[in-house]
Amino acid sequence: MTSYPVFVLKRFGQFLLVVFLGISATFFITHMTPIDPVEESIGTIQQMGQSDPRAVELMRQSLRELYGLEGSIWQQYLHFWGRLATGDLGPSLSAFPTPVSAIIARALPWTIGLMTVSVILTFILGNAIGALAGYCRKSAVLKAVSLVFIAMQPIPYYILAFVLIILFGYVWPILPINGGYEMNTNLNLSVTLVLDILRHSILPALSLILVGTGGWLIGMRALVSNIITEDYVVFAELGGVPKRKILRSYIARNAMVPQFTGLAMSLGAVFNGTVITEIVFGYPGIGNLLISAVHAGDYSLVLGLSALSIVGVAAAVFIIDILGPLIDPRIKVE
Amino acid sequence: MKQWKKLAFGVALATFGLIAAAKAQDYTALPRKETLIVENPEGTIKNPGWFNIWVNGGGGVSTGLQQLTMDTLWYIDPEKGLGGSAWDNSLASDKPQYNNDFTQMTVKLRKGIYWSDGVEFTADDVVYTVKTQMDHPGMNWSAAFSVQVASVEAPDPYTVVFKLKKPNSRFHAIFTVRWNGAWIMPKHVFEKVADPVRYDFANPVSLGAYKLKAFDPQGKWYTWEKRDDWQRTSLARFGEPAPKYVSYVDPGPPDKRTIAQLEHNLDIIHDNTPEGMFTLKEKSKTVESWFPGFPFAHPDPTLPAVIFNNQDPLFQNPDVRWALALLIDIKAVDMASYRGAATLSALGVPPTAVAMTDYQAPMQDWLKNFEIDTGKRKIKPYDPTIGQQIADILRKQPKYKDQIPTDPAAISSAFGYGWWKPDPQAAAELFEKAGFKKVGGKWMTPDGQPFKIRLTVEGDTRSVFTRAGTLIAQQWAAFGIDSKAAPSTSVWQAGLQPGDYQVAIAWSVETWGGDPDLSFFLDSWHSEFVAKKGENQAPRNWQRWSNPELDKIIENIRRISADDPKGIELGKDYLKLVAQQMPTIPLMSYNVFTSMDTTYWKGYPTIADPYTDPVPNWANSRLMMVKLKPAQP
Repeated sequence: MTSYPVFVLKRFGQFLLVVFLGISATFFITHMTPIDPVEESIGTIQQMGQSDPRAVELMRQSLRELYGLEGSIWQQYLHFWGRLATGDLGPSLSAFPTPVSAIIARALPWTIGLMTVSVILTFILGNAIGALAGYCRKSAVLKAVSLVFIAMQPIPYYILAFVLIILFGYVWPILPINGGYEMNTNLNLSVTLVLDILRHSILPALSLILVGTGGWLIGMRALVSNIITEDYVVFAELGGVPKRKILRSYIARNAMVPQFTGLAMSLGAVFNGTVITEIVFGYPGIGNLLISAVHAGDYSLVLGLSALSIVGVAAAVFIIDILGPLIDPRIKVE
Repeated sequence: MKQWKKLAFGVALATFGLIAAAKAQDYTALPRKETLIVENPEGTIKNPGWFNIWVNGGGGVSTGLQQLTMDTLWYIDPEKGLGGSAWDNSLASDKPQYNNDFTQMTVKLRKGIYWSDGVEFTADDVVYTVKTQMDHPGMNWSAAFSVQVASVEAPDPYTVVFKLKKPNSRFHAIFTVRWNGAWIMPKHVFEKVADPVRYDFANPVSLGAYKLKAFDPQGKWYTWEKRDDWQRTSLARFGEPAPKYVSYVDPGPPDKRTIAQLEHNLDIIHDNTPEGMFTLKEKSKTVESWFPGFPFAHPDPTLPAVIFNNQDPLFQNPDVRWALALLIDIKAVDMASYRGAATLSALGVPPTAVAMTDYQAPMQDWLKNFEIDTGKRKIKPYDPTIGQQIADILRKQPKYKDQIPTDPAAISSAFGYGWWKPDPQAAAELFEKAGFKKVGGKWMTPDGQPFKIRLTVEGDTRSVFTRAGTLIAQQWAAFGIDSKAAPSTSVWQAGLQPGDYQVAIAWSVETWGGDPDLSFFLDSWHSEFVAKKGENQAPRNWQRWSNPELDKIIENIRRISADDPKGIELGKDYLKLVAQQMPTIPLMSYNVFTSMDTTYWKGYPTIADPYTDPVPNWANSRLMMVKLKPAQP
C-alpha cells in the first residue's frame, strides 16, 4: 500500500518527466525540419525586391547572429533550457525581436475562450442528452435528437464549418464568417463589443459543438445503460424513489466520474487550439499562430506553443490522477 | 426536467437575440461609401503592431504600409503607369545620373514633400536610410547597401551622391519599386531610437498620401486615412486620392473571399482560384477583372517554368531538356492548371506589358524559323497558333463562348502567341542522340539506369502549378520515363536554394513589367553567382545554369545604361540563347485572378485602361487611389 503523499510525489515526478521529454522531442523535431528560419527570413526579404546575389551571404551571416542560431544543436538545446528555466521563451524568429510570450499572449485568450465554451457546452449537452437517452430509452424525441448528433459525429468538423459558412454567410447572411469582431470597431470594452465578439464566435463554436456532442452522448448513454441494470438502481425503482431523483442521484452522478476525466483531458487540450476551425473561420487564436510558425520555421514560437500544450495536457492528467482517489472510492492508490 | 428546459430555452433565446441583432454582416464600422476594402494576401499578421518595414519583424508589408505610406526615389509600373510612362520619378525629381564608368550615382530630389508629422523630406533622410542600414546588419537592405556603397553624401538638402565600390549601371534598381524597393526612413524619428533593429515604429509617420487610422491588435485588418495634407506627397502629381479610408483585410480562404465580394463587402480580391473567379463572373453583375472576358486574370511579370537542376548530370545536356519540352502538351497543361485561363510563353520572358511589344511580337518570325537538330533531322518545333487553338477550344464551351476574343491581337494578349508542338518522335531522337535507350518500353539513362524524374511542386500552396506539374510528370511517364510529381511545402527554401531537387515548377524570371530592361533578373544569372553543388544558391538562377555566351550578354548589359535601346537587342540575344539551350522550360505568366467590385468604386485598372497592375499588394497600386471614383452619390 502506497501512502497518498508518496503517490502524489511519484506522479509529480512523472509529470515533470513527461514535460521534459515532450519539450525536448519538440525541440529536436523542429530543428530537424528542412525549414530554416534564417532562409525563410531571407526568402521574405528577397520577396521585397532584395535579391542581389552578392548580398545574400552577408545577410545570412547577419541574421544567424541576430537570431542567436550560431553553435551546434546541443549548444542551442542547453541555451534553450537555460532560458526556459527563467520563464523566457526567447524572441520569435519570424517576428524578431518580439518575445514569443507576447505573441502567444495575444492569441491565447481567443482560443481559450472559444475552446472552453465549446468544450463545456458540448460536455453539458452531450451528457444531458446521453443520460436522458440512456434512461428513457423509449422516448422517440430523444431517439431522434440522439440520432442527429450521432450522425454528425463522424463528419470532419471543417466540412461542417464550410457548410455553416455557406448557410449563414451566403444563403442566409446573418452571421459573420471571419475574424473575432467587426473591422474598425471600437475595441474599448462595451456591451456592443461583447455582443459583436459573441456573434463572431457563434459559427466556429457551433461547428465544434455539433460535431463534438455525439462523442459525449454515446459515452454517457452507454454508461447509463450499464448503470440502470445495477442492483441499487433496480431497488430504488422498486422502492418508489422518484424517477428524476434516480436519474440525477443514482445514475448520472456515478456515470459522470469517467466523463469528468474526459472533460479534464479536453480542457487540458484547449491549449492545442483547433487549428482547422481557426483557419476556416479566420479566428485569431493559437491554432492559426501555430500553422504560420511551422511554415516560417519559427522554432521559438513552435516550441512556445508546444510547451504550452504539453504542460496543459500533462497537468490535466496529473490533476485527474491525484484527484481520482479522493473523489472516487473505487480507485485505490497502489 | 424543468431546469433543463429553462436552460435550453435560455440558450435558444440568447442565440436568437444575437442573430436577430445581426444585420447582413458588415466588414466595417466606417462609412462604406468612403472606404475601399482590399484583400491583403499576407493573411493574418503575426506581429500586428510592428510597422518597422526595414526589419523583417513579422509585421505586415502589404497591409497598406508599403502601398500607402512608403515612398522611394523611383517606381517602374508593371503596366503603363500614369503620366505617360511606366517610369516614375517619385521622390527623385529626375532619373539617376551616373558618371561615365558607373561608379557614382547622383540623385536630385523633389522639393515640397513632407512626412505626415509636418517634417520636410530631404536628402538627409536618404543618407540616413543608407548609413543606418549599413551600420545595422540584419536590417532588410543592410547587406545590399554594404556590398555596393562606398559612401553616400548630401551636398545640399535636395541632392544625394552615392559613390560605389564597383561599377554598377543598375544601382538605382535598389531604390526603384517593382513590387517594392528600399523605402526611405524618417531620420527625425529613427535618430531618437536606441536600436533601429528593435524599434517597432508604432504610429508610423507616413511619406505617402495616407496615414494609419486603426489596426486590429489580432492582425486581421489595417485601416489608413487620407492625409489632410495629401498635396504634400509625391502621389499628388496625379490628383487627389478618392477613398477617404482604405482597409486591407485578411478575408480568409478563396471561398470566403468570393462570398465577401458577392456581398459587396470586399472591393478587391487580390487573388482567387480560377473556379472562384469563374463563379464571381457568373453570379455578380458588378465584378470587373483585368480582361473583361476569359481568361480574366492579370498576367504578372513573373514566368513559371519547368526548372531543371542543371548541376544534375541527367539534365546537363540541352538535348535532354529539349526532348522533355517536346513531350509536353501545353494545351492540356493549360486546361489542367488554369482551366484554359493561362497566358503562354515559349520565350524566357513573361508575356505581359512591354515584353509583348518589345520581345514576344518581334520574335515571332525568329521562333517560326527556329530549328533544332534531333541527330537524325532538323525540325521546326514552334507552333504559332497554340494561343488561337486554346481560344477555339474555349469558344466551344457554352459558358464562355461569348467571352472569348476573336481578334488575333486580343487572343495573343490574353492567351499568348504560340508554344512548342508536342513531338514524341523528335523527343525520342533527341534522347537517343544524348545516349539514352528505350528498353522494354522504359527509357534508360546512358549508364543503363532507369530514367527517373521527380518533379517538385508546391502542393496546396500553389494548386494551379501543382496541377500543371502533375500533368507534365504524367505526360513524361506516358512516354516511358519513371516520372512523378513530388509535392513539397518548402520548394524554395528546402529545394531550389540548396539545390536539393531534380526538376521543379517555379520561376527564376521576373521582369519590371513596364520596362524592357531584363537586368532585374538576368544579372543574377551570371556564372559568378552560380553556387557549387551542395551549397546554397543565391536568387534567381535556381536552375544553376552557367553559360559563357550568357555571361557575355550580361556583361554587355552591365556596360550600358538601363534605358539604352541596345538593351532590348541584348535581351533578344538572351531569349534566343535560352530557346536553344532550354535551361528551363518557360510555361506561362503568373496569372493573378484579381477581381474588383464596382458597387462602391469605379475606375479600376483593366486591359482597356492599363494604368497599373490591379494586384493590390504591389506598391504601384497606390496609383489606383487617384484613379478610383465613388460609384454612388
